[in-house]
Amino acid sequence: MAEEGENENMEIKLETAPHDPRFQTTNQAKHCWSRYIEYHACVKQKGEEDSECQKFKRWYKSLCPNEWLENWDEQRANGTFPGPV
Amino acid sequence: MEKERRISEYHMVDVSPWPVMSVIALMGVLIGMIEWMHGMGGRILVMGVISMLMSMYGWWRDVIREGVLEGSHTGKVQEGLRKGVLWFIFTESMLFVSIFWAYYHSSLSPSVELGGVWPPRGIRVVEAWELPMLNTLLLLMSGVTVTWSHESMRSGEKEEMEKGLGITIILGIVFLMIQGYEYYESEFRITDGVYGSSFYMGTGFHGMHVLVGVIMLSMGLIRSIRGELTSEHHVGLEAGIWYWHFVDVVWLFLFVSIYWWGGV
Amino acid sequence: MIRNDAPVRWGLGFQDPATPVMEGIVNLHHEIMYVMIGVLCMVIYILMRIIYNYDYRRNREVRKEKRGALIEAIWTLTPTVILIIIAVPSYALLYAMEEEVSPGVTVKIIGHQWYWSYEYSDYGEEGISYDSYMIGEEELEEGDLRMLEVDNRMVLPIKTHIRLLLTSTDVIHSWAVPSLGVKCDTVPGRLSQVGVYIKREGVYYGQCSELCGMNHAYMPIVVEGVKVEGYKEWIKSKI
Repeated sequence: MAEEGENENMEIKLETAPHDPRFQTTNQAKHCWSRYIEYHACVKQKGEEDSECQKFKRWYKSLCPNEWLENWDEQRANGTFPGPV
Repeated sequence: MEKERRISEYHMVDVSPWPVMSVIALMGVLIGMIEWMHGMGGRILVMGVISMLMSMYGWWRDVIREGVLEGSHTGKVQEGLRKGVLWFIFTESMLFVSIFWAYYHSSLSPSVELGGVWPPRGIRVVEAWELPMLNTLLLLMSGVTVTWSHESMRSGEKEEMEKGLGITIILGIVFLMIQGYEYYESEFRITDGVYGSSFYMGTGFHGMHVLVGVIMLSMGLIRSIRGELTSEHHVGLEAGIWYWHFVDVVWLFLFVSIYWWGGV
Repeated sequence: MIRNDAPVRWGLGFQDPATPVMEGIVNLHHEIMYVMIGVLCMVIYILMRIIYNYDYRRNREVRKEKRGALIEAIWTLTPTVILIIIAVPSYALLYAMEEEVSPGVTVKIIGHQWYWSYEYSDYGEEGISYDSYMIGEEELEEGDLRMLEVDNRMVLPIKTHIRLLLTSTDVIHSWAVPSLGVKCDTVPGRLSQVGVYIKREGVYYGQCSELCGMNHAYMPIVVEGVKVEGYKEWIKSKI
């Protein structure tokens, strides 16, 4: 929990990962998965600070359930991640 | 009391214990299967399977007696039996449709857990152009030999027919042995996710059908040696031959879908 | 005016709609009901006539007709036409429900045995995530709804396109809120998407709608629809 008043001046913008017609409307699992992979591929090429990569990071965070991300991060650390990164 | 026998083109069946026996046996198999799968031992399953095999033996023995000794299988009856076999093969093909459906559902759009690719990450598949290709050739060859015996049966050449049938049976048994060796050597199991499940479901069910086909053709051979078949009247053998062709076609679909397309 | 966004005793009708989708569902129900009443009256009328006229005491003549092409055409084509008439608004609604608009807010809904958790990951470094449990009978306050109140409500902005992403960690649950016109199964390994646009402020109640085990009845859903400013304030207080 934040201290009282700390977030008073913070600007909350209603922004989130945009609609992507390549993915099935009713199942977004691959949407989330693709953003996660795109982020890590991007980091490999351009480095973590790149704004393009940061965009992918925001998007996969807004799409993927936290538990999935923890799971995948752990798999990448152990070298058992099934994706192409 | 003398039973009244009416002359009819149709087969008025006698009272038989086998339907009831089969139902009891099948119920035993079902309950035994549940017991076994829950790790509670397999006593009911063993009893169920044994009584099922006994019922099958008894029922078909009676059918053969009705056909050969009692002369109940008139032309009309044979027509009905043939239609029954064809519908049975149709239901079998629908079983394989469902298995292929499951396979293509999982493989055409592989889920993220599989890495989005097929075959899934970490699965080392069976090489299609080695043993599976040999198996394909064996089955295709057996399709030729079974037709050889079929045509010989129709034209009444008993010796040729038995030769062709014998070779078909041997080819079927060799196929099963190679399939068993392939299972033994393969590097994934039925528990290794959806790839293992669909692979062993598809090829395993097919293998069971090959076994059934071998048994049907063997019965045809035994009955031919015993002189029960004529060029006019051999419904049991013909059912086995049709079934064999069906099993053959299913294998071609399996080979193309699972080994070839799904293995690259 | 008080809106009805929660179940009521002996409630047989709909709760009041709060989204265009729910308005569409209510309208479709009315349209189909209109046709259905016509069909029902027609069928009962014909049935009664047959029962009355073809009684053996009243009608001793044995009819010999074996086929009548005209009557068969009528009783095949008429239902077909009626079904097509029903299908038109039904399909229109179905496609409208899945119409995808680029959303302003994404909320992830995760079903557990036996509670819901919500994740708002677009805000701050860590985002917001919390669990939502039912309030037990002993802790209810005056005016609370029994078996429907939760400790942490889900908060959504009104007049905003919202994307709900649903999944589960154990068995299949179903996240359903009648006033929002949403009922979506949460399936492990799947990430279902539903679009919601709430038109008015309110507190919307719902329940898990897929039998998920022992405490299936004890994982209700409460959604609070607030103005965008209020939503932003709430986000600030939670980060």
